[in-house]
Amino acid sequence: MGLSSKRTGIPTYEHPDRLSDNPEGDLRAYEVFVQTERGKPHTHCGSVDAADDAMALQFAREHYGRDQACVQVWVCPRDAMIRTDYDKDLVFRLTDQSYRFAKGYNVGAKWREFRAQRDYEDYRKEDIKEHF
Amino acid sequence: MSVSAGDNIKLDWERQEDPQRLAAFEARIDAGELVEADDWMPQNYRVGMLRMAEHHANSEIVGALPEGEWITRAPSLKRKLALIAKVQDEVGHGQMLYRVSQDLGKPRDAMLRDLCTGRTKYHNVFNYPAPTWADVAMIQWLVDGAAIMNQKSLADGSYGPYVRTMRRINMEEAFHFKSGEDMVLTLMSGTPRQRRDTQAAFDRWWMPCLMFFGPPDKDSTKTSPFMTWRIKTLTNDTLRQRFVDRFAPAAIDLGLEIKTKQRDASGAIVSDDLVPDELIVHDEASGHYGFTQPDWDEFNRVIRGNGPLNRERVGLRRFSYEQGAWVRRAVLGQTCGLPLAN
Amino acid sequence: MPDELGQHRAALTELLLSIADDKLMLGHRNADWTGLAPILEEDIAFSALAQDDIAHAGALFDLLADWNDDDANRLAFGRQPDEYRCAALVTLSDEFDWAVALVRQFCCDHFDQLRLARLAASSLQPLADLAARMAREEALGVGHADQWIVRLSGATAEARQRVESALRIVLPLTPGLFEEPAGVAELEACGLYPGSTDQMHGQWCEMVSNVLEHAGLPATLPPRSGEAGGRRGRHPAEFPGLLDEMCEVYRSEPQAQW
Repeated sequence: MGLSSKRTGIPTYEHPDRLSDNPEGDLRAYEVFVQTERGKPHTHCGSVDAADDAMALQFAREHYGRDQACVQVWVCPRDAMIRTDYDKDLVFRLTDQSYRFAKGYNVGAKWREFRAQRDYEDYRKEDIKEHF
Repeated sequence: MSVSAGDNIKLDWERQEDPQRLAAFEARIDAGELVEADDWMPQNYRVGMLRMAEHHANSEIVGALPEGEWITRAPSLKRKLALIAKVQDEVGHGQMLYRVSQDLGKPRDAMLRDLCTGRTKYHNVFNYPAPTWADVAMIQWLVDGAAIMNQKSLADGSYGPYVRTMRRINMEEAFHFKSGEDMVLTLMSGTPRQRRDTQAAFDRWWMPCLMFFGPPDKDSTKTSPFMTWRIKTLTNDTLRQRFVDRFAPAAIDLGLEIKTKQRDASGAIVSDDLVPDELIVHDEASGHYGFTQPDWDEFNRVIRGNGPLNRERVGLRRFSYEQGAWVRRAVLGQTCGLPLAN
Repeated sequence: MPDELGQHRAALTELLLSIADDKLMLGHRNADWTGLAPILEEDIAFSALAQDDIAHAGALFDLLADWNDDDANRLAFGRQPDEYRCAALVTLSDEFDWAVALVRQFCCDHFDQLRLARLAASSLQPLADLAARMAREEALGVGHADQWIVRLSGATAEARQRVESALRIVLPLTPGLFEEPAGVAELEACGLYPGSTDQMHGQWCEMVSNVLEHAGLPATLPPRSGEAGGRRGRHPAEFPGLLDEMCEVYRSEPQAQW
């Protein structure tokens, strides 16, 4: 009774502060993306270490595809991802970019001005008709 | 070679950083911006963050052991599945936190080796035994409750990869905590023996949970660089008080008695026997609950490796590392050309 | 249990118990690796597959409890050793040897996939639907095991030897998987469990040999045996000890809620 045999009978180590074999090094890092519903974008959710693509995909689906409803998993070796550098690479321009956004165009004010002008022209025409 | 890659990753407060970069870095932190892995950062920020993430990862991996012991003995199908999923989540949290640490510069293998050989630590709380099923309930409710409290504050930190990991972990911890609450409620509405076991388990975990947040704040804590850089966002004492304010009334509500070690008139601990903690009173003025401090000498004994189960926990972790070495050796650097499974 | 099944009730119960007990015990053994597996990511994957097995057992116990006015947890934790119908292989202790755990999973999951495919063709629709759902999840376990067997045997000499010695431990126990539950012939005849054990054994040998050949691990698979074993409640000497551990808390107060 009690503890499983796997968790008992652990050896007492003569040198608890050192291991006899050599350090192993790490597997390759893969970035993981999941899609929670068809039609939605795939989003980055973390990374796994794996020996190769097949292992990475297997690890990723069990790790990141299980605790939420999920229809697809992508993995990509991190070193295959080409990216910009925060410090060195400018991504978004620094000069005024308002011309490329909807909010750069104040059409509300323009409409008001336009309607006011139209009403004034109509009024003027009526006025001229009446008085002359 | 027995030197781990961790040996040259040390805090060095004498180090001079480039003042311009440091100022820009601190301005970014003040503005509430998150730091990313490939950003420039002061060496002490990197080391402090790495140590914290590594300690956290170690705690998840060792934290999987006390509850893992009960997977084979869980008393219902639902509890068995939930417990496996919970311990699995802890391994997953460990994996994510080791990944964050790896990207700060220390290989995972070096971290696992340091953990197995006692060079690095993990949370003290996992050095305590879980002798009954009620302890499993108490760990999920009380210890995970403390962990959530801590991790919520860490999710307000400044290091992007760690903050994102904390948010994900906190979502999963919510399941652990609810499941623990469900178990404690079930046991406290159960048979006399179940209620007795639950009180006994509560007695075992209340004080380790108070210690969970670390030693009392020194005056310097609030101005430490780790607070200014938002590696930590709340002090140990603040978190401890939050924990007591949340869990003392809940425990009282459940009919659990909160106890502390017996002390003499001067406040010195005279015995390990437990007596009701008279200070557990709600103070209307401050809005807080009072409580008696845990035994900080015990905390120091456990942190030095002399807790009830330090040797067993590290021993099992090491045994598992050694037993699995052949699998890792087999796949390391391997490209076996397996087709992608569809 | 639907009325028209009345006469097959006993046989169907024996069959479903054999599947549920296999899955419960295999999941129980594999779940004990949670937190202790060789690679953290694999720890998560292996634990997920253990949960699948236990969840499948639970679904079958629920069905049986519903049919026989019983309780799923009593079925899982409250029976005497000789009332369990699992094969010896699923309870085999792996002694902290991940190769044994893997090869055990490999043999059992291929077998379960075939058993579930038969059940998914059952004339009893709710059972067929449940089996079809489980079969889709079972395929994940099969893929996992196949991939690791091929991967390890193609890696280091050390890993290959580990897998070979695990095969020497596990394969001799596989005939126990094919021991027929009592009354299975009548279920085959009436379409509740189409197919036959011989056919299933042939398919299993073919699938397992294919993977082993691909892995460069030729092995002679043992033939079926007529010996009475787990399906008749006759278990290895270690089995009651395993149950004592698994049921320790449940038995301490069988009437209690947990």
